[in-house]
Formats: sequence, structure tokens, C-alpha cells
Amino acid sequence: MKRFRSHSVFTIVIAIFCCILYTSSVFAAIPEPTSLFYINDFASVLSEDTEKYILDQSRALDKATTAQLVVVTVQEMDGLEDSEYALELGREWGVGSAEKDNGIILLLAVSERRIRIEVGPGLEGAINDAKAGRLLDNYAIPYLSEDQWDEGIRNVYSALLAEVYEEYGIVPPDTVESAIVVDDSQEDSAGLGAFSWVFILIVLIIIFGTRRTNHTHFGGPFFGGWGGGFRGGGGSFRSGGGFSGGGFRGGGGSFGGGGAGRGF
Amino acid sequence: MKKLSGGVIALIVVLVIVVGAVIWGVSSYNNLVALEENVSGQSANIDTQLQRRSDLIPNLVNTVKGYAAHETEIMTQISEARAQLAGADTMAEKAEANEQLSGALDRLLLIVENYPDLKADSQYTALMDELAGTENRISVARGDYNEAVQEYNRTIKTFPSSIFANLFGFEQAEYFEASESSETPPVVDFS
Repeated sequence: MKRFRSHSVFTIVIAIFCCILYTSSVFAAIPEPTSLFYINDFASVLSEDTEKYILDQSRALDKATTAQLVVVTVQEMDGLEDSEYALELGREWGVGSAEKDNGIILLLAVSERRIRIEVGPGLEGAINDAKAGRLLDNYAIPYLSEDQWDEGIRNVYSALLAEVYEEYGIVPPDTVESAIVVDDSQEDSAGLGAFSWVFILIVLIIIFGTRRTNHTHFGGPFFGGWGGGFRGGGGSFRSGGGFSGGGFRGGGGSFGGGGAGRGF
Repeated sequence: MKKLSGGVIALIVVLVIVVGAVIWGVSSYNNLVALEENVSGQSANIDTQLQRRSDLIPNLVNTVKGYAAHETEIMTQISEARAQLAGADTMAEKAEANEQLSGALDRLLLIVENYPDLKADSQYTALMDELAGTENRISVARGDYNEAVQEYNRTIKTFPSSIFANLFGFEQAEYFEASESSETPPVVDFS
């Protein structure tokens, strides 16, 4: 009898343990944001240069408009649809400001070969579902379908950024590249040939040139903190607004399911 | 100090109880009102998205007609489902009509596979993105609404808030889900 009892106790303990494991695995579906918040390259497919570009641009956008444009790459979405996964991410992380719900998530799932633009209700006017789909078709799919993750993400990110700036009536900073590396150039290149490529090359050189001068503008703590120890440098941005602690975070925005997704 | 008589003490105790009950009742009532407001807010959200979906249909039908004019059967089905949605009153009716519309649109997608020109049409792509986005919004709105209903209904039914719910006539809200009957396809009566 006593033995039976201890047996049943053991079973209950196992059952409870399983419950805890189960619930924790449900939560594990959505990862926590990195301390950089705007850029979360969980799948490790982006170059350091692109990550820095996205971080800089999204931070500037947030400062200027309170809109938050967040990039997330994952290997897989744990059996969820891209729309469900992106919605969860947006709501859990609170992307966008709580008053305006002006967050956007660019989600790439590498294994499932899916990309999605999830748009918060506050920006649905600027980027409706049709436009989100078109941005993906024009700027991301041509690259992603050839496994050029870095180029695809950077390209469509820039296009999104330009759209959001336009919505707020602000001229995008010179460092936004959207107008330059458009996919249309691929169609034209047959006719224009080498000239367009030379042109693109020159423009790229100009962009990279200006970006380098930007570094000096940010000054010592930022530049020194980049690459590995960035978290420590966070304090120098605190004057910029709603950032706390060592990292960036969401403004409490919500999502209603708007946006578009594509397989490639 | 003068000693209070038994009657006065009893009166004070009764007063305290009455005041406590009133405060409790008011806060409970306010809570119920807030939950009910949440439910109606979420239901308005569903209505908006259903309306939006409904508004997209005529454009879609016109675009498809341009490429596949003789596919009249599916067009009729879609139009009928849309009309049914427009006439739906209760949440269950709306959910049912919405599912029928989804079914018809799914069949349309299959048919469109045979028309590569239509699939490549930018207007069609844009419309399909809008429709997919709206469908997604509906499912999000449904989730949010049903969650609000669950909390509201639970509060109404559980003691002690159930006392005030009965007293002030709060009624259970309806979930947004199709009734059993929608599982079977509707029988069309031509008589």
C-alpha cells in the first residue's frame, strides 16, 4: 500500500513536471527580443554591416516618428503560420508606440522559406496589404529565392523605411538605400548593360563613403561599443527618449493582423 | 465618555454593512460594464473586418471576369455568400456566412490556377493580398472577441459577481463561431 502511494506521488510529480515543460515549450515558440530590439538575427543570416545599418536606421526612425520597424530572422517558426508568428512577436514585444500602434515587423523564416511584413494598425494606411505584398515581390523575393538573405532583407527593409518616412511627411535620410538597389534594375540591365552597373557601383561607393563619415559623428562611445560590447554603449543614447537600461525595447504597440506574406 | 447604547452599535454595524455592500456592488457593476464594453468593442472590430472583406468582393469578381468570364458558377456562389453575410444578424450567423464566403474564395483560388494570365495580373495580386490580409484580421479579431466573451461570461456566471449580473440584467454574450449546421454544406432548394 505504502509502496503504491509513493508510486502515485511519483506519477503526479512527473505529470506536473511534464505540464511545466509543456507550458514552457509553448512560450518558447516566441523568442525574447535581443537587447538591440530592432534587429534580431536569430537565424544568423545577416552581415554585421546590414545589422548595423538596420539598427541605425530604425533607431533614427523611432526617434523621429515613434514608429518601430523591427527585423526578425528565425530558422523556423515552430509549426506556426507566418501570420501567427509575426502577430505574436508584435504583440509580445509591443512593437510600435502604445498610442499609435505604429509598429512593423519584417519576419524571415529560413527553413520554411517564408517572409512576412506585419503592419500595425497605425501604419495600415501607409502600407496596406497590397502594398506590403508588392514590396515583398519587388524588393525581397528576387534575392531571397536565390538564398541571398542579406541583400533581400536589406533591400525590402530600406523600401519599408522609405514608405514609413513618407507617411510621416519626412524626407528619409540620405543613408536609406531603397531608391538605389531596386529590383527593376535587373530588368533594365539587359538594355543598359554595363552602364547601370557602373552607376550602381558609384552610388554604392558614395553611400558607403557617407556612412563612414557618420561613424565619426556618433563619436567614441558608440563606435567603440559596436561589435560584441554594444550593450555597454547603450547609455549614451538615453537622452534620445524612451530607452531604458542597456537595450532598446518596444513601445507597447499592438497588431491586428494586417500585412502580407510570401513563400519563395 | 458616554457608553453607546446597543441600538446605536447595531445601527452603526448595519450602516457599515450597507455601505460596504453598495461600494462592492458599484465596483462589481463597473467591472461588468467594462467587460461588456470590451466585448462590444471587439465585436465592432469583427464587423469592420467582415464589411471590409465584403467590400473587396465586387472588385475581385470584376477582375476575375476579365480573364475568366465563363466561370459563372463560382461567381454566383461568391455573390450569394456575400449577400448572406450582409443579411447576417447574430454572431453565429455572421460566423457561418463568413465561413461560406471563405469556402467559395478557396474554390475560386483553385480555379484561378488554370488562368496564369489572371494570376500574373497586378490588380489580382493586390486584391488577393488585401483579401488574405482581411481574412487574417478577421481571425485575429475573432480570437480577441472570443477571449473577451469568455472573460465576460465567466464573470457573469461566477459567484459573487453573478448576483449583480442577475440584478442588473447582464446577459451572456455569444461566441463568434459557426454553429454545427454549417459543418454540412447547405442544401440549395430550387423549388
